[in-house]
Amino acid sequence: MQPKLTLLIFILFAFGKSASAETKHTHDQHNHDTTATPSAAAATERYEGFVEDLKDSKVAVVEVIGMVCDFCARGIEKTFNKDEFVRKIDVDLANGRVLIAYSSDKLINREEISELILANGQNVTGIEIKKI
Amino acid sequence: MGIKLVGILLCLFAPILAARPISYSGGSTIMAFSNTMQDSVYYHYSPSYRFSVGIEAVSDKYTAQEYAYWRSTYLLNRKNTQHSQRNIYLQAGISTQGLDHHFVGVHGDWETRRWFSGFGAKNVKTNTSDYSEKFLQLGVAPYLGEYGDLHTWLMLKSKKDSRLEGWSTYPVLKFFKGNLLLEVGYDREIEWDSHIMYRF
Repeated sequence: MQPKLTLLIFILFAFGKSASAETKHTHDQHNHDTTATPSAAAATERYEGFVEDLKDSKVAVVEVIGMVCDFCARGIEKTFNKDEFVRKIDVDLANGRVLIAYSSDKLINREEISELILANGQNVTGIEIKKI
Repeated sequence: MGIKLVGILLCLFAPILAARPISYSGGSTIMAFSNTMQDSVYYHYSPSYRFSVGIEAVSDKYTAQEYAYWRSTYLLNRKNTQHSQRNIYLQAGISTQGLDHHFVGVHGDWETRRWFSGFGAKNVKTNTSDYSEKFLQLGVAPYLGEYGDLHTWLMLKSKKDSRLEGWSTYPVLKFFKGNLLLEVGYDREIEWDSHIMYRF
């Protein structure tokens, strides 16, 4: 039993260490799977496409970690769409980013956004508000 | 063989499993399972992302009985990183047949957009016998779909039911699009192992 226990502890330790280390990387530095991480240019292009038809709006650019699965991110769209000020949402799995377009009279509360993302099971690492 | 060894080791130290047993806060999920041992339909509601409660109606093929479980699942631990998520869940259920028929279990998974691994173990006590179920599942996404696309996973599942002999290892295909998920596996001995889920 002892060798099995030792092996299990080793597996758990190795797993936990790699997972913890990952949080220390910034998004741009982290590029283990290039197919999963598009370039910054692609992210910019995506943002420009998102705001293309917007005017008199505010856009919250929300950096999210743990958003690795489409099925698991469904709640984000559903939750924010309940807000009458929300015009549209874009969930970008590859960049771990959510774009939320609000009407310009919305008083955006960063803490509220973080809590709503957390209610879906992910964590927010940064929010930038842009006026369109 | 190596995969099986890791699965056995994990299950030795952990008493189960089911895919995504908790939804987002305020979300509901309905799912149906079918395999050689039982068919079931399970509905659960998640008051928060850490907890769900539900009921599962079971048609037990092994004992030719029908009953239901009042079930709950608790998210014991979650670790989010830029490219991965790891979860450990605890599960329990009490049968409508009485307190003597219940189960407890643990379920864990770790996934990136490309890779998936999961394990589970479940101990069931019934009025007539006790048994356990264990499994290990590994998967890879052959392509990375965008949000809203059809997502596909190629998986390998290894499962052990103490009422049957040995481990069964077989391929599983998982698809999801929008709020619908479908998972189908096939093995010559245990035949079909399927799971369909819808979130709302």
